[in-house]
Amino acid sequence: MEVFGLVLTYNHLLLTIPSIALAGFVMLGLDPFRLRDFEVRALALIGGVGPLIPMLVFANACFHGQCTGMVPIFTLKVGESTVALALQMDPLAALVGLTVCVIGAAVILFSVAYMQGTALPDLRRFFALMHLFLAGMLTMVLAGDSIVLFLGWELMGLCSYLLIAYNTTSAEAIRAGRKAFIMTRVADAFLLAALLLLFLEANSVRLDHLIPAGVAAQDGMRPIIAALLLGGAIGKSAQVPMHTWLPSAMAGPTPVSALLHSATMVAAGAVLLMRFSPIIQAEPVVMAIGAGLGALTAIFGAAAALFQQDIKRLLAYSSISQIGYMMLAIGVGAPEAAAAHFVVHAIFKSLLFLSAGHITHHSPRGTDIMAMRGASQRNPLAFLAFSAGAASLAGLPVITGGWWSKEAMLGAVWGVEPALWTVAVLAAVLTAAYATRAVLIAAMPDPGSHDGHADHDDSHDTGYTLVPLAFLGFGALLAGGLVEPIMHLLGAHVPHAPLFTILVASIAPLVGVAIAFALAYVPALANGLQRARDIARRTRRRPRRQDKPAGFWVRIALAFSRGLRIDTLYQIVFVWPFVKLVRWLNGYGRGVADPAGNLPAMAALRLQRAITAPFAPDWIDRTWTAFGGRILALWAALRRLQTGRARDHGLYMAAGTAGLLLLAWGLTWH
Amino acid sequence: MALIALILLPFLGGIFALIAGKAEPTAARIVAVVFLFCGVLALAWTYQHAEAGRWMMMTREPWAPAMGMSIILAIDGLSFIMVALSLALGLLTVVLSWNATDRAPLLHATLCWTVAASNGVFLAFDLVLLAFFWELMLVPSFLLIAIWGHGDREAAAIKFLIYNAIAGLGLLAAVFWIGASGPTVSFDAFEVAERGLPPTAQIWLLLGFALAFMVKLPVPPFHAWLPDAHTQAPTVGSILLAGLLLKTGAYGLFRFPTLLFPQGMEVLAPYGLILGAFGTIYGALVACGQTDAKRLVAYTSVAHMSVVLMGICGGVHFSLMGAGIIMVAHAFSASALFLLIGAVYDRVHTRDLRELGGLQRSAPRFAAAFALFFSATLAMPGTANFLGEALVITGMFQVNWLYASITLVSLVVSVVYGTRLFQRIVFGTPRKAQVTVDLSFRELGPVVVLAIGTLLFGVLPQFLMTGLDPAVNSAVEALRAATP
Amino acid sequence: MTEDSFTALMLLSTALFVVGLFGVLARRSILIQLLSLEVALAGPSLAFITAGARHADAGGQAMFVMILILAAAEVALGLALYLRLRRTADGTDSDSLSSLRH
Repeated sequence: MEVFGLVLTYNHLLLTIPSIALAGFVMLGLDPFRLRDFEVRALALIGGVGPLIPMLVFANACFHGQCTGMVPIFTLKVGESTVALALQMDPLAALVGLTVCVIGAAVILFSVAYMQGTALPDLRRFFALMHLFLAGMLTMVLAGDSIVLFLGWELMGLCSYLLIAYNTTSAEAIRAGRKAFIMTRVADAFLLAALLLLFLEANSVRLDHLIPAGVAAQDGMRPIIAALLLGGAIGKSAQVPMHTWLPSAMAGPTPVSALLHSATMVAAGAVLLMRFSPIIQAEPVVMAIGAGLGALTAIFGAAAALFQQDIKRLLAYSSISQIGYMMLAIGVGAPEAAAAHFVVHAIFKSLLFLSAGHITHHSPRGTDIMAMRGASQRNPLAFLAFSAGAASLAGLPVITGGWWSKEAMLGAVWGVEPALWTVAVLAAVLTAAYATRAVLIAAMPDPGSHDGHADHDDSHDTGYTLVPLAFLGFGALLAGGLVEPIMHLLGAHVPHAPLFTILVASIAPLVGVAIAFALAYVPALANGLQRARDIARRTRRRPRRQDKPAGFWVRIALAFSRGLRIDTLYQIVFVWPFVKLVRWLNGYGRGVADPAGNLPAMAALRLQRAITAPFAPDWIDRTWTAFGGRILALWAALRRLQTGRARDHGLYMAAGTAGLLLLAWGLTWH
Repeated sequence: MALIALILLPFLGGIFALIAGKAEPTAARIVAVVFLFCGVLALAWTYQHAEAGRWMMMTREPWAPAMGMSIILAIDGLSFIMVALSLALGLLTVVLSWNATDRAPLLHATLCWTVAASNGVFLAFDLVLLAFFWELMLVPSFLLIAIWGHGDREAAAIKFLIYNAIAGLGLLAAVFWIGASGPTVSFDAFEVAERGLPPTAQIWLLLGFALAFMVKLPVPPFHAWLPDAHTQAPTVGSILLAGLLLKTGAYGLFRFPTLLFPQGMEVLAPYGLILGAFGTIYGALVACGQTDAKRLVAYTSVAHMSVVLMGICGGVHFSLMGAGIIMVAHAFSASALFLLIGAVYDRVHTRDLRELGGLQRSAPRFAAAFALFFSATLAMPGTANFLGEALVITGMFQVNWLYASITLVSLVVSVVYGTRLFQRIVFGTPRKAQVTVDLSFRELGPVVVLAIGTLLFGVLPQFLMTGLDPAVNSAVEALRAATP
Repeated sequence: MTEDSFTALMLLSTALFVVGLFGVLARRSILIQLLSLEVALAGPSLAFITAGARHADAGGQAMFVMILILAAAEVALGLALYLRLRRTADGTDSDSLSSLRH
């Protein structure tokens, strides 16, 4: 049927997927009906879980080979180019979209209970923004053209800012949100440049035109476009070197971290690269850079996570590290393995965030890692879920989904670049180490309880909380079975990895577990960690000299817990000069505000002075002025004639008349 | 005839508003609205009776044949959009100042006269007529700032007047040279375009024209009048200033250089690009450090208008189209921001960012409106601002990558100043000034209209693009013909 | 009339005028000044009569009568002013009457 010149087919129901979430945003954000608490929660659920339903339908069709392909929405004419906006459903979109919908539904379900007790306007705002974010992410995933892709991309960035700064009275949260927005905006600029260049190459915005045009691009455009795409992905996915925003973004509420900063938004960069993989794969240099950065990020993130003192920051560095793995996989030419890991990672990372959030929800220590202690007694179900997620993260052999996807990636890397494979394996060891460490701490007894046994506290365990945790928990363990089907779906030819790599991939997590136990129970190491923790707490904002020289181990721990101070480095290199420049331009201190704006005025004044200077008081001037002065004296003298006396005036009259008569007489002479 | 009505109706509206105001003070605003609405009707009539071809409608009336001056008015898509914008903003400001008490009839009359003079600039194609309306625009704007402004308003108004009047001298000089340059004295722009001007003369003439337009735009280093004018102007004054007056400068640059001085434009466009590039970064950087909310938005206007300058000097289809779209988009978003800041000022009498805060809690409608227009300033996709900026960047990629990169950098800096404005007003706890009264319906109406405009043209810009197409095409053609 | 007598009479009238002028300029008392003015007036009257006699024109005599009337009017006014001034200012010092307002 035709509506507004658009031929509608069943495929256009694809539009409903983001539209449901968008409608949720509009209803909750504008609040035309003055909703009450119960209604807000209901709408939140509808908007959060709603997109899952059409998504299931379409994804199911796609997995069975019935992908709808491009669904045009409308077309614009810009000069001689046509801009056709479209959505699309292909295997990658179906896979990622389904994952996003499932995780989104789980998180929103969880947060309906988690956000209990917040004021109604804030609750509305929270869910409205979460819905807007979901709509943005789904739009980006389902995008069939670059404009819709970028729309979703930027919308996610905006929601990220507003959600990180959700607690609007916390200066730290606002600062973190701003930092995240600025850094991701830099990434957005790269992406926009890449998309516009592709548009110029292809003279169209449809992705199925852009990607071949990009592959066929001449004159050195292709490496530039590929590099720009990589830059955009790095910034959005918080990879080294643009990763510093993610740890501080943990200032936002836990559901925000669970949805945005673990599973969906940060993986958007990887999804972008998967989408544009033909272009990336045509440029070996860019691939190599991507792989190298991915490996570096993986090991750096894992090392930093190992020494974090805050559970959320630990999980943030973990996300950075895991996405590094995805980048590595893409960089060695196995985007399908990365896609599989994306799905599995989304499941266990959101599970970890949700369960950690639940455990530390009412703790006086906030999200400090030590607040996890006693979880096994207090919230056994949440602790189980957390352990399942941690096991999957660590990649315990065979029984967890994480092992399967990680093994797929490592297998792919081994085939291409053994050096990177070694780095990745080391990172896997560290990953298992920090995952186990978190579980060990959670299993430790809570020192603040009577005789070592914390009270069983399941007052906050509601259906809303438990269902997502359980679902995700099982998913984390069982998702291993999905890995091969996913890779087949995306068209990868999965070679049989050599036994050697499988063995290493199995042993590595166990080594990591051992390391974690060592860190917890070997006194030298454990005390070193404690010492580092104390120093970090004391010198939180202002580093000062330590009283006693710290040992090597303590220094390492401290350095990594601060993320190798890269954030501080960026502050010094980027932020501080910028702020100084802005202050100088605004005339702080004793400067002149807006120097360029003052230029015309100053130039005009200079010109005026230059013109009038030669004509400053000179002899002509002085003569005339003196003349004026003398006239005055003359007048003063002449005034004295005016006596007012009759006799004097009579004399003058007489003299005057006599003079005139003489004159007349004189004139009669010839 | 309709074109003359487009100028006369607002003008007469002002006069009758004044007269009506003498009898009954509240009648002036109704008269103003009526006349402006008649102007809208005249515009609609023009659209109905538009002719096919380059110009939708043209009017030629003799004025002073011995001096070569006639009344030549022409309207095409670009002028149509600009006139529609001016009438819309006129109606908006009259509605906004509905309950003004201080010399209200004169206020409404001044608003109408500003609209009339701007319409004259948008429609005139006789050069003396153009110069006349150009200078005429200054008078009601001066009154707006000097009478109903606050703070050091007379100084700001005089600064505005001096900058723009001196700049107008360049325009006048060029116009008279052109008039005298032909076989007979003639100020008909079309005739001059046909005839062609000597290339070396074109450079100087273009400098004269460009000076007037660039000071109005405003482009650093000629922008210093804008922050002061905005800070001291009343809310309706700022809206007309940002939404309308700045666009006359942009319109002038869009229309006349390529029409009259194609070879000159060839030579001078690279310098225009440099100036625009400098301006966009400079404006953005200075905005990042401002403490007065209105001044901050004023500097962002400088940055955005410099992008428009870059778009026009780029000379390719995409960048010109982008420049035109930014003109419209910025009119909406800047007007909305000034409206909101003005509304805050009306309540708490401060615009200082260090004193405001906490709007989220106390006035959620305000916060939502700020959030929308904050994302428009950032060029968030979905707003018309993004479309314009993206098109300009595309054009810049075709011209010189350096400028594209600079525009992208300014996009990143826009986040810094955008968040500065937004979070200091909306987030946090109020430091000294607490806004407790939310947006009233009278204020919400214009905000909604502006929001619809921003989002509509961001999502469905076809109307804008088809309207701008002829103007953009002829500009590109003229430049292409000038290239040897 | 002979030339000599004409000359002598003219000289006499000049002398009368000069004496009168001298009296006005040299004396400060207003009454004396008025008196001197009368003497001075005599001079031109004599000159008029002499010229009239010389040219056998009755106009000279007519002018003398006019001067007489003039003198009478002037003396009347002058004496009235003198009487008035004697009250407010010192009548013997015309120099003190040098400003418009007293």
